[in-house]
Amino acid sequence: MHHGNHFYGHAHVLAGYCGLDPADPPRIDGYLQHGWNVVDGLGAGTPYAPGLPIFVWSERTRRRAWSMGRPLATVTGAPFLYLLRSGGEPSAAEREGTIWYPFHGWEGQKVSGDHHRLIDEISATESGPITFCLYWNEYQDRRIRALYERAGRVICHGYRGYMRMRTDPGFLENQLAELRRHRRVASNRLSTAVLYGTAAGCEPAVYGDPMYLDKEDTPTADRIRREWPELHGPAPDPATAREIVLAELGDGHLASPAELRAMLGWAAA
Amino acid sequence: MITMLGGEMPEYAEEHAPAGGPLYRHLLERLPTGIRVLIAGPHDTDLIGALADRRDVTCLVRSQPDAEALPGNVLCGTLSKLTDADRYDVVVALDGTGRLCSPEGPQLDWAESVRVLRRALRPGGTLLLTVENELGVHRLVDPHAPTASRTGDAWRPLGEFGTAPGRPDRLAAALGAEGLPVAAMAAAWPLPGRPTLLINPETLRYGPLDALAAFASAAVAPAYDQVLSDPRRLAAAAVRRGLGAEMAPAWLAVAQRAHRPGPTITLPPAVFAGPSGTVTEIVGMPDGTWLRRVVSSCVVPLSPGPGDSGTTQPGLAHGPVAAGVTQPGSSHGPLPAGRLLEERLLGAALAHDLPYLRRLLTGWMTALPMVPADNVLVDGDRFTVLDPTVPDQPDALARLAHTLLTGGYHHPWPGVTDVPRLIAVLAGAAGLTEVPAAPDDPLPAPDGRREHEEQLDALRRRLADAEARSRFFEVELEKREAELGRAKTQIAAFSGNLGFRAAKAGLVLARAARNRLRKGRS
Repeated sequence: MHHGNHFYGHAHVLAGYCGLDPADPPRIDGYLQHGWNVVDGLGAGTPYAPGLPIFVWSERTRRRAWSMGRPLATVTGAPFLYLLRSGGEPSAAEREGTIWYPFHGWEGQKVSGDHHRLIDEISATESGPITFCLYWNEYQDRRIRALYERAGRVICHGYRGYMRMRTDPGFLENQLAELRRHRRVASNRLSTAVLYGTAAGCEPAVYGDPMYLDKEDTPTADRIRREWPELHGPAPDPATAREIVLAELGDGHLASPAELRAMLGWAAA
Repeated sequence: MITMLGGEMPEYAEEHAPAGGPLYRHLLERLPTGIRVLIAGPHDTDLIGALADRRDVTCLVRSQPDAEALPGNVLCGTLSKLTDADRYDVVVALDGTGRLCSPEGPQLDWAESVRVLRRALRPGGTLLLTVENELGVHRLVDPHAPTASRTGDAWRPLGEFGTAPGRPDRLAAALGAEGLPVAAMAAAWPLPGRPTLLINPETLRYGPLDALAAFASAAVAPAYDQVLSDPRRLAAAAVRRGLGAEMAPAWLAVAQRAHRPGPTITLPPAVFAGPSGTVTEIVGMPDGTWLRRVVSSCVVPLSPGPGDSGTTQPGLAHGPVAAGVTQPGSSHGPLPAGRLLEERLLGAALAHDLPYLRRLLTGWMTALPMVPADNVLVDGDRFTVLDPTVPDQPDALARLAHTLLTGGYHHPWPGVTDVPRLIAVLAGAAGLTEVPAAPDDPLPAPDGRREHEEQLDALRRRLADAEARSRFFEVELEKREAELGRAKTQIAAFSGNLGFRAAKAGLVLARAARNRLRKGRS
């Protein structure tokens, strides 16, 4: 269905979990939620073909989708959790430092804010080595990359893909491998990466200049802070944070391969 | 021998089935032998035959053709013509008082009818009377109003405008006021004339309500042809919420004329008849637990239809197993605890509680894969068959899929709208490795108007979605076609002949020059 199903190799991860060829996931009969959000599970502006199901991460999102006029939401849990479940054992190497995700938009959006001030605040807060993970378009911007390289290691998990082109099917695996090397995961916004990091065993933190996107709906950002104060700050309680994060990712709701195949329309595949 | 009382109906045969069924038969067989019994109103010949075994039985009916088809002593006429010349030890009126008066003479109301029946009793005699509840489940789900009936006996279709008591306690008070103190009472499902479940009102207050609700649901499930809404949910919810006695289709009262000990029957806390006619009692134990025991196991033929002249000789055919004889198997022993699995599954589906729903499905398919969810009690992780006399069904999971979709229930997979695919999803959720086949024939389920409305709404929604989706794809297709057209032009430009490429390059240059000019102007 929508090419967003292939973002970050989500469809590939689910195909692998279902025992199908992860390199060539069959067409999904509906829309996969491809990032954590506080709306109906679909990204803003996703063209929606009426009558098709949305496969959302959490029961909370399903309820919200219903209230927003999207009654066909089914809770599957985040593909990242399926990866955690089907992936190998965590590396025995000791975790060290912080993986820090500066807030980003997507390709068509521009973030406004002071990267210098943010980096100073991060350096003052973090005690260990810092890995900055930049979104691919910022990673390609030499000016921005150079700023962060002065304060730590700079990486990029890959390109999420667009219109099924240049999709990096190993995106989530790369991200998981990096997360498992770090003790902390942090960002200036509560975001998908912080959730993934927490699920992968990192202690989360959300602090620093939140920065803003062009034409961003700032009340939504404020709403997120009000709704999850337990996840904000330089050192939230890790146990509480983990419990909240796992619920947001749909832990406990993951389907068996057979059920998932039938749900996604892959039963005959 | 027929005695004509007066007021009889020479041309009319009763159109609706007479009172009968295995449960009434079971109760009547417990009456002492050697007594005189008056059976007032239309009763099944099987029931009359069972009573006539070593008892002196007289029937009272208003229809002459029906009277002529009955064996033994028959009084034919309208109730007001019954005199107290003959007195009986027991008067059986399991059909109620609604079919005792003919069009001739006074039209007795409920209390007047009871008075006539009372006069027919010897002091200490017993009246077995069924009273229909006009607000019973059977009425609430009935698409047809009794007040609009066009049948030949509906010359005065009072329905809920009648005078019969409307609650079990008021019924007891009314009978008491007529000098007929009530010795025992039971609420009856699914139909007044042919109950398969009787429960004492006290038991409905303090008994094992979840299990009793499951029995009520099972009793009403196959009983009504067309319904306004699924009677299973209404009957079960009423019992669970403490309104079982008030919403039962009827009440059976055992009343005695004066307080002198006479022939009577006791009613157990609950008693039900399975589909094969096996009668099972539920009794309370001193330690507060409940026991079920099979008390009679017999094959009861279908009741004769209107005008059926079948006769059964007393003491012949299918003699019941004596009371107290037990059947092997789990029908006998402690009443399993827990709530009906089907209700738990529907509850979990409505609450979108996927983890619990999967746990229920997995536990069910592991423990009792061939038993439909409407015959399983679940208590924590324990799954028990509710009525072991009900035969297994190989398509138990398919039945659930059917119930979820045709019942209009919300469930966690709203995008799945066809039964085979929902079966596949449920099988996956239940941890089954193989998907059961979808049944070819539609599964039996109450044919509810409300469910029809839901199905119609669902189809309208799906049609609207499909039309919108078709427009959506049309727009997408146009976009893709435009992209393809551009791509084809580009391919032609790079692979075409030199002249075409030169012309194309010229076009590009011209377009760029135009754009520069425009920019310069703005």
